[in-house]
Amino acid sequence: MIRTVARKEMLEIIRDGRFRWSAAITLLLLCGALAMGWQHYRDVASQHEAARRDTRQQWLKQGEKNPHSAAHYGVYAFKPRMPLSLVDPGVDPYVGVAAWLEAHKQNEFKFKPAQDATALQRLGELTGATVLQLLLPLVIILLTFSAFASERELGTLRQLMSLGVSRSDLAWGKALGISGALAMLLLPATVIGVAGLALTAENGALAGSTPRLLLLFAGYLAYFAVFLGISLAVSAKASSARVALITLLGFWIFNGLLAPKAVTDLARSIHPTPSTLQFARDIEHDIENGMDGHNPADSRAEALKQELLRKYNVDSVNKLPIDFNGVRMQAGEEYGNQVFDRHYGALWATYDRQRRIHDLASILAPSLAIRSLSMGLAGTDFPQHAHFSQAAEQYRRLINREMNMDLAHHAKGKPVYMAKESLWQKIPDFHYEAPGLGWVVRNHTLSLVLLTVWCLAAALAASWMSRRMEVI
Amino acid sequence: MLEALSLTKAYNGHTALNNLNLTVAAGEVFCLLGANGAGKTTTINLFLNFIPPTSGTAKVNGIDVASHPLESKRYLAYIPEQVMLYRNLTGIENLSYFTELAGCEKYSQAKLLDFLTAAGLQAEAADKRVGSYSKGMRQKVGIAIATARNAKALLLDEPTSGLDPKASNEFSELLKRLSGNGAAILMATHDLFRAKETGTRVGIMKHGNMVAHMKTEELGHADLERIYLEHMHD
Repeated sequence: MIRTVARKEMLEIIRDGRFRWSAAITLLLLCGALAMGWQHYRDVASQHEAARRDTRQQWLKQGEKNPHSAAHYGVYAFKPRMPLSLVDPGVDPYVGVAAWLEAHKQNEFKFKPAQDATALQRLGELTGATVLQLLLPLVIILLTFSAFASERELGTLRQLMSLGVSRSDLAWGKALGISGALAMLLLPATVIGVAGLALTAENGALAGSTPRLLLLFAGYLAYFAVFLGISLAVSAKASSARVALITLLGFWIFNGLLAPKAVTDLARSIHPTPSTLQFARDIEHDIENGMDGHNPADSRAEALKQELLRKYNVDSVNKLPIDFNGVRMQAGEEYGNQVFDRHYGALWATYDRQRRIHDLASILAPSLAIRSLSMGLAGTDFPQHAHFSQAAEQYRRLINREMNMDLAHHAKGKPVYMAKESLWQKIPDFHYEAPGLGWVVRNHTLSLVLLTVWCLAAALAASWMSRRMEVI
Repeated sequence: MLEALSLTKAYNGHTALNNLNLTVAAGEVFCLLGANGAGKTTTINLFLNFIPPTSGTAKVNGIDVASHPLESKRYLAYIPEQVMLYRNLTGIENLSYFTELAGCEKYSQAKLLDFLTAAGLQAEAADKRVGSYSKGMRQKVGIAIATARNAKALLLDEPTSGLDPKASNEFSELLKRLSGNGAAILMATHDLFRAKETGTRVGIMKHGNMVAHMKTEELGHADLERIYLEHMHD
């Protein structure tokens, strides 16, 4: 019986011109977004590859130079993009994809497309994720709002019910039929998306992305099921198709447009982050005056000097067997690192708390759960950004330590000390291992759980409401 | 086959149907007459379990419709004033859908077409989408559904209102054939002439009560009209 209902619903939807149009437009947008994401991914991947090689070559071939100048010269570290980022660019446009690693400073990321974008672009950027999170629920609502409400208005529901059709069979059949129609829209997009992934991801990266892809797929299906269930429930309950449509559009606006903005603002006001300027000033202040405010840089240098003089049992810096400048700079670097760890640690902890509020708020709006999950699986969420930042920072510290120690050991007594390529060679190429699926899933357990809860609740609501709906 | 036992329905204080006792046996055509709001449609809706009774029971083939909503409908066919169909499906697709959902055997296309033509629909209309059908054509699909389901009891709610006399006459002939095959028919109607022609018994309803109840064979056309008007008078 369920199959009969499903087949008839699907047939009716397909014969409906409105569906054909909206499906065609959505499919076009989805494929367009995926194609753009694919293009962007390929461009960025090849640019990164070229830039990565260049930055390495520049580092190795920088010629004879004082090691400290080399540290200032610095290198770029590029965040590798996962193939799935073509579906969901996540926070990348806002946080950037390349870090400049230089002496003394943990830098903010560079190359944030959002910096160059106009306000208009920021609102309307077309990505696979926007289409899937915003547009598809709208299509589902438009397909489903009339499921019971219109049949009741027209009177066909009376006739169906006079046949002795079980209501839950009817509801399941409708859900299945609408899913079938949606599949006709989603299947081509999925095939195109996977083909795009296969084309971009060389050397087995597709195989590596498969578990993420499957989970992403399941996540979006669950998200769509939420909308299907809720739409059926509202359609069964509403006094007319009009009321059902307005109710569902209200939910859609809340879910897709209001909630994400409101929750971001709320999280920011509960756990405020300092402005970029304030943040930089605080770090500068702590390095200059000491983290406790009673240990300024000058006295730290003086203490270091006294310590070394005692250690080597000499009475002046000139008599030290090592170059004091190198040691001093490394000590300054290490103190700076403590300051960075403290400030960046606090900043990231704050972001993390904001993220928890965001994820927790998906109790109210399922879009928040899928947003979070989708970015996570695409490798473009904030935790993965922070993970990369930390790896890049460790690399920066490695370079600086090597440069300063080289100074300390070799610059003694030389008015002009120049290091050669052999020193540059000592710095290994930057290699970043992105966190695995398990790490990502652990970060998004809350979203996963809440999305599942939404899914079950929507199914329950649909079955509950259809069992209790009025026939006339 | 159809049985109402002290059937009562009240909507917040207003009694739509008051203590109806009625039996329609196989082969009988019982016509419910009365003004709008007299309780005719309420009676039919109660038999269909679309609304719960305030008290009393409605039974189909001895089965209480309120406690066994799905089983009781197995014997029941319903033709409302407007048979509503799915406009994007053809006549034959509609018939196929409704019979399949009713749990009938799966009929072949030829068999489905037979049901439609037997109900008076032209064969070439069967493959057209229902959106283009006239009311009469839709009523015929409704009859085809009822016959295909081989219903033992029919509930008809003013099925001929708005039909032209010829279509109305064809409809009456079909009803006679169905009742001849042993179906119990309960029909609400305003058409005294049809009631006399096709009905075996008539009941006159007023303000939720059945005020008169008689066999049509004992009546002339004029008698029925006179009795009806007498009851409507006060």
